[in-house]
Amino acid sequence: MDRAIIVDHLVKNFEVTVKGPGLRGAISSIISPKRKVVRALKNISFTIQPGELVGFIGPNGAGKTTTLKILSGLLYPTSGFTQVLEFDPWDRRPEFLKQISLVMGQKNQLWWDLPAIETFELNRAIYEIPKRDYEETLKELTELLQVEKLLNIQVRRLSLGQRMKLELVAALLHKPKILFLDEPTIGLDLIAQEKMREFIYEYNKRNGASILLTSHNMDDLINLARRVIVIDEGRIVFDGALEELVNRFAKEKIIKIFLSEEVDIKRIEAIGKVKKIAFPEVVLSVPRSATAVAAAELLQNFPVEDLTIEEVPVEEIVRKVFRGEMRSRVLKK
Amino acid sequence: MSLSKYISVFKISFVQEFAYRLNFVMWRVRNVMQIFLVFFLWDSVFSDPTRQVFGYNRDKILTYVFGILFIRALVFSARAVDIAGEISRGDLTNVLLKPINYFRYWFTRDLSSKALNLCFAVIEAAILFLILKPPFFLQTDFRILILFAVLLVFAVLIFFGLLLLINMTPFWAPESGWAAQFLFMGIITEFLSGAVFPLDIFPATIQKVLQFSPFPYLLFFPLQTYLGKISLSSMLGGVLASAVWVIILILTLNYVWAKGMRRYAAEGR
Repeated sequence: MDRAIIVDHLVKNFEVTVKGPGLRGAISSIISPKRKVVRALKNISFTIQPGELVGFIGPNGAGKTTTLKILSGLLYPTSGFTQVLEFDPWDRRPEFLKQISLVMGQKNQLWWDLPAIETFELNRAIYEIPKRDYEETLKELTELLQVEKLLNIQVRRLSLGQRMKLELVAALLHKPKILFLDEPTIGLDLIAQEKMREFIYEYNKRNGASILLTSHNMDDLINLARRVIVIDEGRIVFDGALEELVNRFAKEKIIKIFLSEEVDIKRIEAIGKVKKIAFPEVVLSVPRSATAVAAAELLQNFPVEDLTIEEVPVEEIVRKVFRGEMRSRVLKK
Repeated sequence: MSLSKYISVFKISFVQEFAYRLNFVMWRVRNVMQIFLVFFLWDSVFSDPTRQVFGYNRDKILTYVFGILFIRALVFSARAVDIAGEISRGDLTNVLLKPINYFRYWFTRDLSSKALNLCFAVIEAAILFLILKPPFFLQTDFRILILFAVLLVFAVLIFFGLLLLINMTPFWAPESGWAAQFLFMGIITEFLSGAVFPLDIFPATIQKVLQFSPFPYLLFFPLQTYLGKISLSSMLGGVLASAVWVIILILTLNYVWAKGMRRYAAEGR
């Protein structure tokens, strides 16, 4: 098997009922419901190799989650060809389901009123995981995510972050070869995000699993994905190495400084483009190649208390992409 | 199909019921209250022990009332009422992603609910029996008892089929789950199955029509059989009719499910 996932000319349309606002809209939608076809995916194609970790980015409603749902067999494609591990996902055969997992930021498969361990035990039975493998995997996962102490607490009593980690354990007990992650770090604090990333990276390395990940978090993508697929309005507008995307579209970096006393803003403007002033905080953007020089200059010549260098948020790059800068020359690997 | 999967589903579902202890107790109280009401109603109608109405004497009508308690627990207790919500919220996704059969999954959960309810029904019946000291008709004909058991199995299957069909309406109308459920569970099933009063009370023509619907086979027909109120050949006819309904419902269910799945949008995430 040289391709873990094949998507070829995939199209998905949804039929939705349109409702006007207010009471009048509600009544008229009962009498003569207006239907509208939403074209969620317009002919997309890509392939993913075994063991590859691919970031899937795009604005809300671009079709990322729809693609993940089709690939895990939840949605019926309108047309086109999809194959995952040589299975047709829509058949949802047990042998297929035992090798994949879909984790969504707001999804809860854990039984709300019971401790997480009950759900884990249930999954062990459903996925027919041998007892020894199960115990080993459970130990490994709970240690990696540091949730050993949470297993016997009612899920409803846990915080969002704790729950997310346990959701991840539940989704990985059967050691899927293909992992679909939809916003895995959403709602987590920075430390938990970091842990989650480390974990995903580790899981990919250890198990040689293919991972398709959607995120609005640039760090997720920078640290994890070598390759990204940008999707917009149901079309793939970029498919290639992440550096290529960032270099091409994030020509600048963001420097944030905190000043201990007020200074002449004009002097700072000589160093880079000032994007925001809210004393003591000043945000400026500088060309990528000049970042180090600019930072050094700031530290030397200004009363800087704190300085951070950040990437332009992926949203901004993606927005640039969407403004049409990419549409004319769609890149494919 | 591996049985251990479903045993685990049964266990967790059973444990889950205990998480809603108060809910469960109130549900049982409702059942007992209903039996009280119906019992006293019929008890006063049949205050004269020699009186016969609709072919029931005092013993048989009061046995009917107690029969309702058990058969309700066995046939009408179900967890599958949650399916409609699961579909409209998109939580169906969780089960679809797992290597487990969706219908069998819910049937197992229903069985665990039935087991729990049946345990309580036995205790309640014992208490009610001590309080009310009703006369009780004991069926001793072994053939009839076997037919009664077969009818109960079919009744469970018919109810499961109807309930699942009703619960699939949100595939097409996401907001409709609750209303459809209430109409079906609260009104149609209760009245047409004989859970409120024996169906003999209806005019003969309505009874004839009802015979061709699945509802009498949920409760009324099995109880009629137990009470020996009908001939052996009618009993066998009823067994046949139940079996036909089971088959019809399974076929319809598979068809509707396949259609519904194509419409499912896995929303809410």
